[in-house]
Amino acid sequence: MRSFWTVMAKEFLSFLRSWGLVAVVLYSFTLDVYIAGQGIEVKPRNVRVGYVIEGGGVLPQKILSHLHAPEFQKPKWFASQKELQKAIFNKEILVGLIFGHDFEKNIDSHKGAKLDVLLDATAASQAYITLVYLQNTLLRLENIHIPLKLKIHKLFNQNADSHMFISFAEMLSVITMIGIILTAAVFVKEKEDGTWDIMLLMPVDSRLVILAKAASQIAIVMGGILICVGFVLLGVFHVPINGSFLAFMLLSLLYAFTIAGIGLFIAAASHTIMEVAQLSVLIMMPLIFLSGAWTPIYSMHPILQKLSVISPLRYYIEGSESIFFRGTGWSDLYPYFMGVSVLGILTFWYGYRKIGRLF
Amino acid sequence: MRTSVIKAYMQKEFKDLVRTKMIYLVYLLPTMILLLFGYGIRLEVTGARTIIIDQDQSRFSKELIDKCTHSKYFNTKVLLISPNEGLHRIKQAKTDILLIIPPHFEHDLLHGQKSELAAFIDGAFPLRATTMQGYVEGVILHAAKELAQRFGLKHPLITLNHRALFNQAMRDENAIVPGLIGLIMLVAPALLSALLIVKEKEMGTIFNFYASPVKKSEFLIAKLTPVFLLHSINIFILFLWATWWFGVPFRGSFGLYWITSELYLLISLSIGLLVSIITNRQIVAVVLTLIITIIPGFLYSGMLMPISSMVGESYIEAHIFPVMYYNHIVYDTFLIGQGLESMKNILYLAILAGYGTLLLIVGSLLLKKELG
Amino acid sequence: MALLEVDSVHIAYKRTIAVKEASFTADAGQIVGFIGADGAGKSSLFHAIAGVLHFRGEIRYKGYPYHSPKEAEPIKPYIGLMPQGLGLVLYPQLSVEEHLEFFANIRDIPRDKAFMKYKKKLLHMAGLAEFPDRLAKNLSGGMKQKLSLICTLIHKPKLLILDEPTTGVDPLSRQELWEILDQNRKEERSLTLFSTAYMGEAAKMDKIHLMDEGEIIAQGTAGELIKSARPYTYQATRCKECITFNGRTYSLKPLSAPHAEPTLESLFFINALKKGKIPPPVEVLPRETPIDIPEVVMEAKGLTKRFGDFVADDHIDMQLRRGEILGLLGANGAGKTTFIKMLLGLYPIDEGELYLLGRKIQSPKDRQELKRYIGYMSQNFALYKDLTIRENLFYFANMHQLPLNKASERIERLAKSLGFWDYMDSFPKDVPMGINQRFSLAAAILHEPVVLFLDEPTSGVDTIARAQFWQLLHKLKHIWGISILVTTHYMSEAQYCDRVVVLRRGKKIADASPKELERRFGTKDFEEVFLRLYEEQE
Repeated sequence: MRSFWTVMAKEFLSFLRSWGLVAVVLYSFTLDVYIAGQGIEVKPRNVRVGYVIEGGGVLPQKILSHLHAPEFQKPKWFASQKELQKAIFNKEILVGLIFGHDFEKNIDSHKGAKLDVLLDATAASQAYITLVYLQNTLLRLENIHIPLKLKIHKLFNQNADSHMFISFAEMLSVITMIGIILTAAVFVKEKEDGTWDIMLLMPVDSRLVILAKAASQIAIVMGGILICVGFVLLGVFHVPINGSFLAFMLLSLLYAFTIAGIGLFIAAASHTIMEVAQLSVLIMMPLIFLSGAWTPIYSMHPILQKLSVISPLRYYIEGSESIFFRGTGWSDLYPYFMGVSVLGILTFWYGYRKIGRLF
Repeated sequence: MRTSVIKAYMQKEFKDLVRTKMIYLVYLLPTMILLLFGYGIRLEVTGARTIIIDQDQSRFSKELIDKCTHSKYFNTKVLLISPNEGLHRIKQAKTDILLIIPPHFEHDLLHGQKSELAAFIDGAFPLRATTMQGYVEGVILHAAKELAQRFGLKHPLITLNHRALFNQAMRDENAIVPGLIGLIMLVAPALLSALLIVKEKEMGTIFNFYASPVKKSEFLIAKLTPVFLLHSINIFILFLWATWWFGVPFRGSFGLYWITSELYLLISLSIGLLVSIITNRQIVAVVLTLIITIIPGFLYSGMLMPISSMVGESYIEAHIFPVMYYNHIVYDTFLIGQGLESMKNILYLAILAGYGTLLLIVGSLLLKKELG
Repeated sequence: MALLEVDSVHIAYKRTIAVKEASFTADAGQIVGFIGADGAGKSSLFHAIAGVLHFRGEIRYKGYPYHSPKEAEPIKPYIGLMPQGLGLVLYPQLSVEEHLEFFANIRDIPRDKAFMKYKKKLLHMAGLAEFPDRLAKNLSGGMKQKLSLICTLIHKPKLLILDEPTTGVDPLSRQELWEILDQNRKEERSLTLFSTAYMGEAAKMDKIHLMDEGEIIAQGTAGELIKSARPYTYQATRCKECITFNGRTYSLKPLSAPHAEPTLESLFFINALKKGKIPPPVEVLPRETPIDIPEVVMEAKGLTKRFGDFVADDHIDMQLRRGEILGLLGANGAGKTTFIKMLLGLYPIDEGELYLLGRKIQSPKDRQELKRYIGYMSQNFALYKDLTIRENLFYFANMHQLPLNKASERIERLAKSLGFWDYMDSFPKDVPMGINQRFSLAAAILHEPVVLFLDEPTSGVDTIARAQFWQLLHKLKHIWGISILVTTHYMSEAQYCDRVVVLRRGKKIADASPKELERRFGTKDFEEVFLRLYEEQE
């Protein structure tokens, strides 16, 4: 046991003294997550609207006055359809409204009027969401009383705050990246520095050395998770913890072991840090994109859906999402724990076998 | 400028790329990113798992359920469970939407009383949630209008007649894949060129350049050309994936797409080159390149958020990175097809050319033929 | 006018001064040597002359003065630089032939008949004519250096700058390198600047500069330099303010002892005396835990290791007796490293038997057990550079399960007696090589092993530290009764061993005391002994 702690302590010291690495890890767990969470906004926000009024009247202005911040920027007037279209082509305008010649006349005569809407559909999601928003605005404006009322409850994240979610998903990606690279690097560094033989010559069971080295990096990742959750998720983005924080940390620990297993495998296959970087990128990309972090699994291609069953990140993400947002209780979390554990044991065992052969 | 010197260095670079198997990475990485992201990022939600609890079991409620079942957006199940049980299923992430049709639904409607439908949506994934909310509202709105007509209520006066430009079908592929090309062509070439010089510095072979009469210009041309040529092929590969595999329409001129991409490739290479010149360790060069290319490549690509919707800082930042200019032209060539008729395209092309030239000048000024 | 004039060149990095006001001149057709330890400033001086490093002062090539790398650009066609490091200028993925083509191309040499002939000749001289298609990464260390040299020669430079081209190269390859140089000097009349840590090569040079801490402390021919050292060199005796090593005592004050014949190395000792830097004595205290060591500590019987078809070690027998220093010598690729790795238990043994302390080593468990009795100090003193010296030592103590209070006591004792107590909280990269060497030794003997393996323990270390290190090993041998197996490329160091084993192509070709071998070949120069041994086998 003493050797175990000695190796752990040595790896911690080495980590803390390579300030470049510390900076990168800290950056990834704080600023990187922050930037990702801050930068991407998927709600229609600041949408630029342009309009053309061919006829006259007050109604168009009344409609336009409903398009206001934060969803819309102040609508911009265009002299002709052609100019409006050009602005859309140049991506200066996302939504164009054309009030035709007899727009107001038709309404006054209760004939029913058509409002032409031009959407820049290269931004498909914004376009669609804007359309729905417009439709609702018009209905409200016309004061139509439909006996049917729809009350929508968005559970767990009432405002559909995407900062929260994106920062959360980014953290999970960072955990994956840092976990793999750190674990692989801690072994490959010994190869590069020529201390590999010295490590082998210690009268200590190789299993102990491998475990201690992996455990030290897992601990660093866990530290990163704590910092990230504490300062960025809770501190800046006010992500709720509806479930048990303990469950999340436990799930994270299991996941960190899985990731360390992949790291061990990479370490066994590489001779230089450069190779570690290349291999990690090749393994990480599919792992992250098959996980459902960026897109729901059931809207993926059927083959990818099947493949995603073997992505440990999938279980980790779904589990963590459930804990943080849905507040799912322990008893309902067992599929995630099972998924991460089974895949974790498999990858760690495989990585351990691979690296063990070098001892 | 002696061509034989340049040729010798170029041959060496080619052989090195092939024999170190880096060549696989050159062609594997862009395609892999395109396929993964192309399939991976879905803004449209289809087949949202929906549970409808029909507490009324009437003709009207059945009609409403019918509307949902026939929509591609929902994957509907009608269950006889309690609302609490339904909520619990959302908690377990077994379902995304729960729609509850209240008792006396038909009765209330027939008697002109207000009836309230309740929809519960899993909001853990906000993008998904907002989109699903739109679908639910759309379906219900549609149904409500029909009902209103049937009961002879006031007819809505304004109907929206929308025309989605460039992407009539509103396909995600069309919206995302061209943007991905901008991301990939920024990251992959930069990653490769970032290693070009720092690798020689770390190994020591840089002395062959330092101590020989090879000129800086010869050295730079010899270093960049092989990578440039190899990645130029990717411009075509990515084009084929986009049009043939993902079925993205191509409405503009291929010439413009090609020229712009080559220009953009040069910028990406120059970014990597700058990193390679200022760093001394390969691993630092790799990490630095990833940080300065991936995040801007993603955020300011216009893929997830239109640049026109950005405000303040991010609006300015978007204009600093080259990806916005390139993507504007790429989206134009794929989906719009204005080409050089648009002044903006010409302006952006000029900006890209200036950008590339500037980076190359800075790079060659920073490159010193001596130990740092 | 001399071909090259170096006028008070001064080179400073951020905090340290690399070269202090160095001046010298050299003529065409000469081989001019620079001798000194790592960090003496040889490389910096060479880089400045080659025009790849900023400096203060002036350098003139054929009367053309330059003061910066930029100004040196016009003379680069006439310069050939081979920087320090095995195969540093080679591309691992290019073949021998491709290298020559590449180097000829970047020098823009026309492909005429004369060039083809010259290329062929170079390949032949380097002994590489047989495998033009072999990739550089698959060449042995000696071959790499020869290839680097002929690549540097391909444009027939008038000024050839070779930075430690023979370091880490076995005597055989070293001899071949010198032959190439000799021929080049005769035919091309170029000036060669040559730095080395091997004193033995100095005799072949026209002029020698000794460098220490950035200064040229002496210059002249080998004869002149040795003559200048004569007044200060005495036969070994005890005295104050003097240094004694290898049968000689150096003193600035006259001693009553009779004078002895100095060597070039003597100049470094005398320089240390002049600067008042007398190295503190090192001691070895007895083992804390006495142990009964049998007469034969380690025995290898027919040890064999194969990699596919290639036999790295072919039935090698070796005995390591109690309190014996055994030198393991051989050319690059002779199988030394593989042999040591088998003895260390790092490689499984394909054939043969290994006994430690009379017990046969068979299972992996035995090999695990083996590690407790072995101390190992690797090349370049590879220790953890992110840990301080103290932390490094505690790490090893913990790994060897030494009780904590005993460990700290022992570390303190070793640090004080080996003279690095003042550096305990420094990082390995911040202390002189000599200190690193001794602290690595401390790490290797912390658990009081019975056998010590040293893999090139003295490369890159200055003369005085090297002398001290060998004194230390001898004390360790006498007081601890420890057996030491050491590999080295410095043939002169073979003389400090009790017995040497020479390997060639995986086979043992000699196993005798250095004295015996010297008698057999009738020479005192062990470098020659080695070459003759190899010749016998041809």
